[in-house]
Amino acid sequence: MSTTTTPAPARSAGLRALLSRTGGERRGHTTVVDRIALGTAGLMVLLALAGPYLAPLDPYAVNLPAALTPPGAEHWLGTDANGRDILSRILAGGRTTLLATVAVIAAATVIGTVIGTAAALGGRIVDEVLMRICDVGLSLPAIVVALGLAAAMGPSLQSAVIALAATWWPGYARLVRTLVREVRDAEFVESARVLGVSRTRLVLRHVLPNSLSALYVQTTLDVSAVMLVISGLSFVGVGAQVPASEWGAMIAASRDTAVTAWWTVLFPGLAIAITAIAFNLVGDWLRVRTDPTLRTGGRR
Amino acid sequence: MSAHPTQGSPLLDIRGLTVSYPTPQGPAQVVRGVDLAVAPGERVALVGESGSGKSVTARSVLRLDPDARTGGRILLEGEDVLEMTPREVRRVRGARAGLVFQDPLASLNPVKTVGWQITQPLRIRGVGRREARRRAVDLLGRLGVADPDRRFDDHPHQFSGGMRQRVVIAIAVIAEPRLLIADEPTTALDVRVQAQVLELMEDLARERGMAVLLITHDLGIVAGFARRVAVMRHGLIVEEADVDRLYASPSHPYTRSLLDAVPRIGDAPGRRLGAPVPATTEGEAL
Repeated sequence: MSTTTTPAPARSAGLRALLSRTGGERRGHTTVVDRIALGTAGLMVLLALAGPYLAPLDPYAVNLPAALTPPGAEHWLGTDANGRDILSRILAGGRTTLLATVAVIAAATVIGTVIGTAAALGGRIVDEVLMRICDVGLSLPAIVVALGLAAAMGPSLQSAVIALAATWWPGYARLVRTLVREVRDAEFVESARVLGVSRTRLVLRHVLPNSLSALYVQTTLDVSAVMLVISGLSFVGVGAQVPASEWGAMIAASRDTAVTAWWTVLFPGLAIAITAIAFNLVGDWLRVRTDPTLRTGGRR
Repeated sequence: MSAHPTQGSPLLDIRGLTVSYPTPQGPAQVVRGVDLAVAPGERVALVGESGSGKSVTARSVLRLDPDARTGGRILLEGEDVLEMTPREVRRVRGARAGLVFQDPLASLNPVKTVGWQITQPLRIRGVGRREARRRAVDLLGRLGVADPDRRFDDHPHQFSGGMRQRVVIAIAVIAEPRLLIADEPTTALDVRVQAQVLELMEDLARERGMAVLLITHDLGIVAGFARRVAVMRHGLIVEEADVDRLYASPSHPYTRSLLDAVPRIGDAPGRRLGAPVPATTEGEAL
């Protein structure tokens, strides 16, 4: 299965090698770095579910006398210009950032899979029309289009999510089309057809399960990219709105204090960076694990 | 040798079959008027070199090439397959006629368990999960797979080549078709496993009264398996005869040259394959 069609895994494989510093990396085995990445990603998911309940203080409580307190015993990660506890805001904001990311990727994956599969199996005209639409989508820089769409729909996190999903799917459609075309003519698909398996079942049970492993990998790798864009959109003001504790919005709100109070931007930034790296590594781990040719016990 | 003599109406009756494919240079005629009949329970071999049209003939029985332009008639249990609607064709596939392909690994879906794939022909026809599993495990055991209940949940890559081909055969016969078409089923296997697989297919066919049309380019494996042989070349059947007669006195020069191409133990070293030699007997050929 050609995960090589996507440039991203190669990039993160380099990162992975750099981090693990093991020359002969054993394929298909879970290394310490993988474990840390998996643990971190798991922690982030937990955060998305339980974050607001874990926050030690009210993330929205303004406390002006305590404004810009450096990290210390009372406020572990310090406070922002309004005296709000940064740790609490990061914990509470994780849900917003991660759920928005997952929503974008889920929507883009579903749309991309349906359109990509239709293009691969639907005959020449369908393929041409859908792929030219994808080309248009791909030729426009996602963040600019999302910016425009989100601004047109009225700045809110919801419109940022919708706008981003609308600009993100063409990449998936392209990928899925390639993957499905690769599998569609495989002999086992023909063999299933010979057994009288219906077209729908052929696609759902035989073609897609064999094509989508590279897509799953791509989605985990995209978690970091989408998260950064969402934070970016929030940063420029068309995503999460002011009091919300979304990570990107937190950095945006602390622009003025970045020089004098480093903790106001460093910790939300770290949260974004750590999550992005963790999901990237998980994506890479998945890529190796799901490649059927690399499975243990394979006799290819 | 054959449990069911050729009598009554044939199970498969191909009459004047022509197949061509559209190409930019005009239609390419691949099969040019083939007549071939297979009686219920009969084992027939269709032999010929690559490109002789034997596979295309076999695939036409299940209407597998949507691009193919076909003429003539293919009567399966009296019904013309070439006249059927796609829905009717789907009901024929797997249930009335099964097909085994050459490469047992490529024929299996790598992400589904072997059990899932064997039971699929039953499941899509409404057989319950439990019943389907019972029949599949029975069949696997019958095909010589050790510990079939446990292997049921394994994936194809955990099986050896010979075992995979048994799985492929199990998939093809589980819905109890009356005709099994085997398109070079042993080409990807080593010689010893070839013999085992053929023997299993023969036993299975005998038990179930299932007819087998064996497509092969290897005359060496035909003798022990089929009773009747049809030799195909350039889209035509050039000779059709009982296996014994064909091997003893091939009438068509092409058949003779095919027979000469089978290597034999006991030949003088350095003999060129294809040079005139005495005809083989069955025992040697397998």
